[in-house]
Amino acid sequence: MKPLWTVFFFATIFCLSNARADNLLDGADSGYGEYLSGECVTCHSKDGVDKGIPVINGLDAEVFASIMHAYKTGDMDHPVMMMVANRLDEEQIASLAVYFAALPGTN
Amino acid sequence: MVTKFTRRQFTGGILAGTTALAMPSLAFGARPRVAVIGGGAGGATAAKYIAKDSKGAIDVTLIEASKRYYTCFYSNLYLGGFRSYASIGHNYYGLSVNRGVNVVHEWANSVDTAAKVVNLGHGGQVKYDRLVLSPGISLKYDSLPGYSPEMHSRMPHAWTSGTQVQLLRSKVLNMKKGGTFVMVPPPNPYRCPPGPYERVSMIAHLLKERNPTAKIIILDPKPKFSKQGLFMAGWEKHYPGMIDWIDPDTHGGIKSINATSMEIETDLDTFKADAASVVPAQHAGSIAMAAGVTDGDWCPINPANMTAKADPNIYVLGDASVASSMPKSGFSANSQAKVAANHIRGELTGSRVYEARYANTCWSLVATDDGIKVGANYSAGPEKIDVVSKFVSQGDESADVRKATYQESIGWYEGITTDMFS
Ligand SMILES: Cc1cc2nc3c(=O)[nH]c(=O)nc-3n(C[C@H](O)[C@H](O)[C@H](O)COP(=O)(O)OP(=O)(O)OC[C@H]3O[C@@H](n4cnc5c(N)ncnc54)[C@H](O)[C@@H]3O)c2cc1C
Ligand code: HEC
Repeated sequence: MKPLWTVFFFATIFCLSNARADNLLDGADSGYGEYLSGECVTCHSKDGVDKGIPVINGLDAEVFASIMHAYKTGDMDHPVMMMVANRLDEEQIASLAVYFAALPGTN
Repeated sequence: MVTKFTRRQFTGGILAGTTALAMPSLAFGARPRVAVIGGGAGGATAAKYIAKDSKGAIDVTLIEASKRYYTCFYSNLYLGGFRSYASIGHNYYGLSVNRGVNVVHEWANSVDTAAKVVNLGHGGQVKYDRLVLSPGISLKYDSLPGYSPEMHSRMPHAWTSGTQVQLLRSKVLNMKKGGTFVMVPPPNPYRCPPGPYERVSMIAHLLKERNPTAKIIILDPKPKFSKQGLFMAGWEKHYPGMIDWIDPDTHGGIKSINATSMEIETDLDTFKADAASVVPAQHAGSIAMAAGVTDGDWCPINPANMTAKADPNIYVLGDASVASSMPKSGFSANSQAKVAANHIRGELTGSRVYEARYANTCWSLVATDDGIKVGANYSAGPEKIDVVSKFVSQGDESADVRKATYQESIGWYEGITTDMFS
């Protein structure tokens, strides 16, 4: 599966200033991210295999946070992920982002 | 890229005072002990997360009768020919080798809650500081009028996985041309609300390929069912004229089931089946009854942490618990296990306890590449687990969306089984 975020990445991320990117990760706490990640890994296989749901291990933290915000605002449209993202606040998203970014990715 | 983290306390999520709790076993230098009964969706997940996150500080023993766990989830896809039987079987090596869980393949006979001891089938004992019960369901055979033990082999319920599911598949494959399959779903509440209707879909798929003039009759004790509109539209589209769902107002109630003659009698008619699946009513796994944490058929829990209302040292997960508004599903059990594991660690080692967050999604396959889903996330309310938000597949979705939904479910199966067993 082609990573979905690539499209979004080129469309949006490059427009963000560094300052905005920093804000995205404010308040990150990787330990809290690990707890919150319990919800994600029921679907996003933790051993880095994509059998129908994209791998999110090792994604760049800022890209990760931007994607989650895009699901939250509905800019990225997917019922499951919109529901997941909707109940996460900025600090929770930041915490998840730094936690997943630190995991080894697929390659 | 510049990244900057400011570490902050998540005051909202942390229950104050957990570190101050007395830890008697630690005081004597012994590792606190957690026993988990049942290595399914709830128990395997709980054992893994407690062992993984406590990094050896907690001694975890998993008591599971079987050496191989065949998931009920995807057993319907095996029936339909979309999965092999081997692909839904899992073992416990990952939990013991990667996580250091003591896996004991024995039947737990009883629990002495005063002495905090689990008595095993062969006479051994497992002591605990905290006990996790995730034994799934037991079937209430007396809910079926005319029940006889023959029913197991002649009208397989296949509601606990394993050989029952293989038997059911062979019965469907051996039906005479143009024969009738009868499905009797269980009354509420039961494991996997969409399960009987996904089963019917998968049997219809199999029959459409191999025995296209065969018929399926559903004699339902319930007036409505999960994802009903989506299922019925799917049946009309993929299997026109093959499936007849008969509600209790129409059939008037099931009066008797005769496994020898394969006849099911209702007020409306007596239905003669060439193959059948009869699923009885259910209650919490018998060990939960024996442990004295049930009220009626199921175990009431505290929504904030999944402890049993009847005993603060016992956590009840999955199908055995009354976790409404969550349905009894593998996804729910897995989600509840993480809340319980976090709370148990807090209690026994003083680690941070975060707020309870629960989630569920149930996918069902209606036909090739036609997947549907329903899901919600939840938080702990004072009395019950409350829905925060939810979604369900739409009736007018494109074929592409349905195909993507099915593919997601394959990803989910990979995700949850990895999460449980590795
Ligand atoms: C046909 C069907 C389809 C389904 N599809 C889905 C689906 O698509 N998605 C989904 O999320 N859920 C699905 N489910 C539901 C799911 O299988 C259950 O909700 C889930 O397995 C519940 O987990 P649990 O931990 O409560 O019990 P289980 O997973 O049943 O685990 C209980 C374990 O405890 C062991 N045990 C019980 N008593 C003892 C004892 N005294 N001593 C030792 N061991 C013991 C058993 O051997 C068993 O392994 C489906 C169910 C069925 C029947
Ligand atoms: C019920 C299953 C499910 C759960 C739970 C879930 N996700 Fe997802 N996730 C998906 C699916 C399906 C997609 C692909 C969505 C799409 O097509 O836009 C996805 C996509 C994503 C993406 C985009 C990946 C990419 O490469 O485009 C990210 C990031 C992500 N999820 C993060 C999370 C996080 C963080 C959590 C937990 C808080 C989570 N997900 C929980 C199913 C899930």
